[in-house]
Amino acid sequence: MEILIYGAVTSAIYAMLAVGFTLIFGVARILNLAHGSFYALGAYLAYVLTTLAGLPLWLAALLSIAIVAIFGVLVEKILIRPLRSSQLGVLMISLATALVVEQALFLIFGSEYRNVPAFIETKYNLFGVDVAGQRLLTLAVATVSIGGLYAFIQFTRLGSAILAISQDPLAAKYMGIPSDRIFSLVMAISAGLAALAGVMAGPFLSVQPSMHLLPIVKAFAIVVVGGLGSIPGSIAAAFMLGYAETIVAYMVSSSWTEIVSVLATLLMLVFRPAGLFGKRAAF
Amino acid sequence: MKAFKGLDTLSSIGGLVALLLLGVLPTLFTGTYLVGVLTVAAIYGIWAVSWDFMSGLTGRENFGHSLFIGVGAYAAGFLNVHFGLGPWWSLPASMLVAMVFAVVLGFPTLRLKGPYFALAMLSSAVIMQRLMLIFWEYTGGEEGIHDITPLIVNPLHYYWFVLAVLGCITLLLSWMARSRWGLILRAIRGDEATCLAAGLPITTYKIVSLVISAAFAGLGGALYAHYQLQVSPQLFAVVTSITIITMVYVGGMGTIFGAVGGALLLTVMTEGLRNFGEWRLMVYSLLLIFILFFLPNGIIAPIWQKIRNLGRPS
Repeated sequence: MEILIYGAVTSAIYAMLAVGFTLIFGVARILNLAHGSFYALGAYLAYVLTTLAGLPLWLAALLSIAIVAIFGVLVEKILIRPLRSSQLGVLMISLATALVVEQALFLIFGSEYRNVPAFIETKYNLFGVDVAGQRLLTLAVATVSIGGLYAFIQFTRLGSAILAISQDPLAAKYMGIPSDRIFSLVMAISAGLAALAGVMAGPFLSVQPSMHLLPIVKAFAIVVVGGLGSIPGSIAAAFMLGYAETIVAYMVSSSWTEIVSVLATLLMLVFRPAGLFGKRAAF
Repeated sequence: MKAFKGLDTLSSIGGLVALLLLGVLPTLFTGTYLVGVLTVAAIYGIWAVSWDFMSGLTGRENFGHSLFIGVGAYAAGFLNVHFGLGPWWSLPASMLVAMVFAVVLGFPTLRLKGPYFALAMLSSAVIMQRLMLIFWEYTGGEEGIHDITPLIVNPLHYYWFVLAVLGCITLLLSWMARSRWGLILRAIRGDEATCLAAGLPITTYKIVSLVISAAFAGLGGALYAHYQLQVSPQLFAVVTSITIITMVYVGGMGTIFGAVGGALLLTVMTEGLRNFGEWRLMVYSLLLIFILFFLPNGIIAPIWQKIRNLGRPS
């Protein structure tokens, strides 16, 4: 039972990270290594706005998500877009951006851990398992936000535009879809989701400058398993990886959880590079 | 220099003069400070040149070069401290271990186009660093492995040794880069599909280049371990890889000697920023962004081209 609940929470956080990561790749072909930085920035901003500026938590959370979304759009517009023609250029520039953010956080806050306040401090007893309210809330928020995103993409006009670009960028352009504006929008969504994950998970995970690296590793593993660019695939893979890690942590030892993602990545690349739900062969 | 076809006289002389200058430089000053800086610079040179051989030539960027450096250094530390083997065993052992890692990671990822290789390398380096911390009973955790015996006790002699290794590796790799092998690697960078159509086993070429690159990175890691006399998980850090990549970009991608120049230049330059220690990595990251945008050919390689062209009737 513990595995079931904790696995679900871990998976939900991974899903929030991976969906944004795969969305911006699927639409704009941008493999954004700065994605983890958005997550880190979200957590740090929540910390700054509540603990240092004294704002109420809900306001701080909304503000930090908005700020990170704007930051994401700026990064895409100023740094990534000029190099978009070269995939390696994008990788380099986004990794460099991630390190600039990491170093900036390090210079400002130092390397010690910071505490982000939780929305709910109480613990709940669920099917005989004690779970922190914050974890349950995270699960709920993740479900709602990803569900909302899915509905947005499937049922709105803007969502159709996003889908159209991801399916065929050239044809979408001929249809008069302003792809640059859509990229900005998707980048904002993707960065915002990562920041949301940071704000929600901040209270029970370690908040420190190099926290952006593991999410990137996990997001990459999920995206490889689920298929690069496939949102349902990455949600399914997020749950697979989240549960696999939780099971390994309970059955073997929590020391070995880190291996799961790399092993999954390598095995998947050997046997089925397109991923479980990938439509394309490895491009 | 007939043996090294294509390595024209001017480059050879330039390289030799640079090597001599670097060798003589520390003897002109008293104190070991300069020797220390230059030793580190030469080791960074080895790392940069090995990165450039694989990634600069084929264009498949390796974001986890620190993985090979780290496993090489840890192999040296383990053999030396835990198994009590003599320090010279570290050199072949570190190369071997790094090569094994290169095969394991290269085989699944280099077959594929796209970003898989770059990202898998990055992930593996991050995870290895975590594992070094998690299994602290064996690896010493944050502290790493201490009390490694030096290869050569006299720092100046050790520096000369490292410099000689750097010279040999640079010579070997630039010769390879100018040979048919290097030509094929460049062709892979240009157009993989055409190479495949021409019947070249490009995956094999890429994997073997990665293995060569890893071997020298591991060797550099062992040299570093025997210089610092300790190894720490920090060696695996992504910033190590990024530092090396920045050095190669400054030198000029795919030029081999440019990578060495970039490494020497940046290490010595950032020594000046020592008082701003915390800012060093920030400077590297910003420098990398700047170069990506404004100087895609790097700094050193274009200048060297200009110098060479001066001597030629145009």
